[in-house]
Amino acid sequence: MRKYNELLQNIVRGMLRAGLVEEVLAFAQGLNESDIVPLFITDEQDVERIATVSYYPCSLANLFAEYGDNSKKTAMIVRSCDARAMVELAKRHQVNLDNLYLVGIECYGVVQAKDKNHHIYIFPEEMELDGELKPLDEGILSPNCRRCEYPIPTMADVSYRIERNGESLVTANTEKGMRILSAANISPSETPQPDTTVVKERAARWQEREFGELRKMEPRERLNYWLSQFNKCIKCYGCRNSCPVCYCKDCYLGPERLLVRREKIPPETLFHITRLIHIGDICVNCGQCEAACPMEIPVSKLFHMLNKELSVIFKYEPGLDISSLPPISTITEEDLARTGVDLD
Amino acid sequence: MDTVQGQNFEPQILGFLCNWCSYAGADLAGVSRFQYPPNIRVIRVLCSAKVDPLYVMKALLNGIDGVLIAGCHPGECHYVTGNYYARRRAVMLHKLLEVIGLEPERLRLEWVSASEGTIFAEVVKDFTRTIKSLGPNPLKPEGI
Repeated sequence: MRKYNELLQNIVRGMLRAGLVEEVLAFAQGLNESDIVPLFITDEQDVERIATVSYYPCSLANLFAEYGDNSKKTAMIVRSCDARAMVELAKRHQVNLDNLYLVGIECYGVVQAKDKNHHIYIFPEEMELDGELKPLDEGILSPNCRRCEYPIPTMADVSYRIERNGESLVTANTEKGMRILSAANISPSETPQPDTTVVKERAARWQEREFGELRKMEPRERLNYWLSQFNKCIKCYGCRNSCPVCYCKDCYLGPERLLVRREKIPPETLFHITRLIHIGDICVNCGQCEAACPMEIPVSKLFHMLNKELSVIFKYEPGLDISSLPPISTITEEDLARTGVDLD
Repeated sequence: MDTVQGQNFEPQILGFLCNWCSYAGADLAGVSRFQYPPNIRVIRVLCSAKVDPLYVMKALLNGIDGVLIAGCHPGECHYVTGNYYARRRAVMLHKLLEVIGLEPERLRLEWVSASEGTIFAEVVKDFTRTIKSLGPNPLKPEGI
């Protein structure tokens, strides 16, 4: 386990020692090897607990938005979906990126909770299962990860790559990233960005498979499919609570807002549609909603599908660029010139 | 009311009309006695941007057959940019309806100014025709 973490732990230790950050939010080993827990690390002796296995129990961006301190210098060890969620939250003034150092791990997918007892690392075409290198079985990946086309955390300050021979590489993406590396006394490697065509092809294939079968359906059939899925809902609010970009403190879905009826299970379809309206345009496809759902409703598929359609229309990729503003609440120069009721 | 698709189907249409242009346009249509189908039920809103996508979805999920949002022409909004927001939301809602399996045609955004009484009547006629050809909303509860 140790070999993949060594460089990462050196980076974290260096940041804490140099006083660059006061605390580090990362996943760490809990009671045993398969117990991965989020941890705010302030003490150097906890650094060796940091885990990099390909299992991601919750969204760190969500945790930081809820429990983090925006006035403290903090570092976060995140995968690209969470790095993108942090960018989206920063656009909405929920987190302050000036005080945050994002250490991004290059991620080719994580496994679902049922496989977390394996000691697993996922690489573009291989996986290391309990110390043994095998060709990648795509079925083991979390469904959202199969559809993910952003393995490289370009929006984070440094990206950290785990090679399958046990080596790790780190590259700085920003000026803040250079500061991280100099604090840790590591010279950035000059290796070019890895080729992501394999992952992009995998994503396109799975998106085609999963969205394609829904698109092929007649509208009525598709409606019935989603209604039957929503009817399984037990209104546990797991999808809402685990979502990193769903940040409102005062939520429309709370019983006091009278939008969804109290004590009604399954809730009205509006429960899911409300979430779809609110974050459909900025969903980062982290898959936490689906992982949290006890009734196995494929929520992330629905959100990702709408998001893919909208990102074409609005020319907006969530979380990639801090300067492009949320599409639903931003008017562009081109909008002002258009007179029709459509955007094209 | 007979909800079977065909001649007897009389759609229920909800209209969100902006106070400054479209509501005045509808008023003009009434004062000038332009004929249009009585299927539309109007809610006056202060701006087309006041129409939360939730209102539209709540109406459709509760069985309304069509939703019309009407606002000022681009550049003429009383609040300068409200109708541009309404347009972005409508574009988003059209995709959302398509993804969950409702016909996107059930939502319509139109620009109607205060002087366009005839256009308002035309829009309601045309929209009612479209909804009649689509048939009743599949989500309509029994007995409505």
